[in-house]
Amino acid sequence: MPCRNGAPSQLPDRTTKNAMNIELLKEKSAWLRRELFEMVVRTRKGHFPSSSSCAEIVVALYYGGYLRHDPKAPRAADRDRLFISKGQAGMVLYPILADLGYVAKEELLKFARADGVFRLYPDPSIPGIEAITGSLGHGIGIAAGHALSAKRDGKKFRNFVILSDGECYEGSVWETALFAAHHGLNNLIVVIDRNGCCILDHTEKCLRLDPLDEKWKAFGWRVRAVNGHSYAEVTSALDEAVSGSTEQPLAIISHSVKGKGVSFMEDQPGWHNRMPDDAQIARARKDLSTNCIVN
Amino acid sequence: MHTTTINPAPRLPRDVFLDEIFEAAQRNRDIYLLCADLGAKALDQFRGLLKNQFIHVGISEQNMMDLAAGLVQNGKIVYTYAMAPFVTMRCYEQIKVSLASMNLPTTIIGNGVGFSYDDSGPTHYATEDIACMRSLAGIEIVTPADTWSVFEIARLSHKKPALRYVRLDRAYLPDVYSDGDTRFLKDGIVEIEKGKDLCILACGCMLHSARKARANLKKLGHSIGVVDVFRLKPIDGEILRAVLAPYSKVVTLEEHFLSAGLGGAILEAMADAGIHKKVLRLGIQDHYYCENGGRAHIQRLAGIDLETITGKLRQFLAGRENRSDPGLRRS
Repeated sequence: MPCRNGAPSQLPDRTTKNAMNIELLKEKSAWLRRELFEMVVRTRKGHFPSSSSCAEIVVALYYGGYLRHDPKAPRAADRDRLFISKGQAGMVLYPILADLGYVAKEELLKFARADGVFRLYPDPSIPGIEAITGSLGHGIGIAAGHALSAKRDGKKFRNFVILSDGECYEGSVWETALFAAHHGLNNLIVVIDRNGCCILDHTEKCLRLDPLDEKWKAFGWRVRAVNGHSYAEVTSALDEAVSGSTEQPLAIISHSVKGKGVSFMEDQPGWHNRMPDDAQIARARKDLSTNCIVN
Repeated sequence: MHTTTINPAPRLPRDVFLDEIFEAAQRNRDIYLLCADLGAKALDQFRGLLKNQFIHVGISEQNMMDLAAGLVQNGKIVYTYAMAPFVTMRCYEQIKVSLASMNLPTTIIGNGVGFSYDDSGPTHYATEDIACMRSLAGIEIVTPADTWSVFEIARLSHKKPALRYVRLDRAYLPDVYSDGDTRFLKDGIVEIEKGKDLCILACGCMLHSARKARANLKKLGHSIGVVDVFRLKPIDGEILRAVLAPYSKVVTLEEHFLSAGLGGAILEAMADAGIHKKVLRLGIQDHYYCENGGRAHIQRLAGIDLETITGKLRQFLAGRENRSDPGLRRS
């Protein structure tokens, strides 16, 4: 069974956020990481480390009540949009889309297979996926197009983007950053998954990105920095994102760990798309049997 | 027949195009014009009167294409407008990924194809844009050769949006068609002048060079056909077969490099349709020209001025060695 760990069915209500809700989200984290890892092990394809580093953000969006969506109407005009601009982590959504009923759960077993719906990289033929991503620096611009459309049409939907920090090397990201600030796209929320790794090295050794927060601020964005693996912090930032309290687009710099939850993959750029051997699989499963998320 | 009357002669292609979409945008608030900082007389009324539908994206073609994708996904009819080299090659991957691979109908208006921006040099020349754009799956490419065809393609672009690259010359273009003649929309390839000895296939401004070369050769007793390749992609092989049927020799003429341009597209279409004829491709030599002195001068350096074209046609007619010249610039 794809969801053998049984995802909790009860969704926490954002308006009554409390310790219990955080517990539910944490359970989802543990479940999601196990699902992601097994998907990779089954097909020997996929990107667990990039997906794991942004797991809490997407869990909070879907199960924390932040994303207004309807699995029965994936293209409803007023839905909130989520763009996984860092397309290599598109798979992070698949267990969630299956759990919520966008796609049959059995499809997780066919991840990245010719007869499956869930492809290695996301594209809009998959219910719940907004845009094709995988080359970097596109999702944010497409999302800005949605945000602009909403503004011009007086619609209230929000547009969330998961951007990787390495993606910030792409000049097109900054073209969109300029544009979104100028046009006051406060319906655009970009989460920068600051795991500090690109494929070959750590970003700061490869080509320095810091001070990343100052860069986004200088482009006219409101910036929040959070521990990307703390639901207390992630939900606090998302509360601000949906509060409508600012005229600016919001950048949430989510400090995270690439490969979070699998000890030998954590913060190791070399594991970007490397496949574990049998011993490593056993070790990873043991790691993932306990929840790495504490609050 | 049209209800709108236009006076083609004194107006630039871009003004004719933008005027038509301005008219349409007044009636349809979902029409959006995205502009990467290129002006036009006709643009002023659009940006002045339809502020909500005009978006100056800055000199940011990549973002412009991604924004377009997002807007089209929300039901907008979107135009992206900039100089031809920038609106194609500067943002090529955005066109591929965000528009072509998601089948999002968007009109890409490239102003100033070929050597249109004559003294600006290779940065401003669009002499590889056909090659680049026609390798994208599912895109339509058109090069209007006169104001009537600019007007008609502008009308079609908002009535039936498609992912379409519209290649506009920067200069005034003399009439080829007349009001109500829309053969180019239907067939894509239209015989403009009949002949017997050979036919020249050309598009845009070079169609007019072809007509002039035809006139020159007529004085020498040659009968030359001239064909407008209005739509470069897709090309209908059966229409091409019918158009070429009377001729045993074919010449392609373009203000573009010979690599994968109009001539390449015609050769591919001929091969695919099993059309076997002698072909001479005329285009820009494989070299970047950092020269000044006007378009005619640059064309002369590149080997596509009227005199050079006429000379090569005469050789081809005489059956002398008729290799296309894809290669090295002769110093």
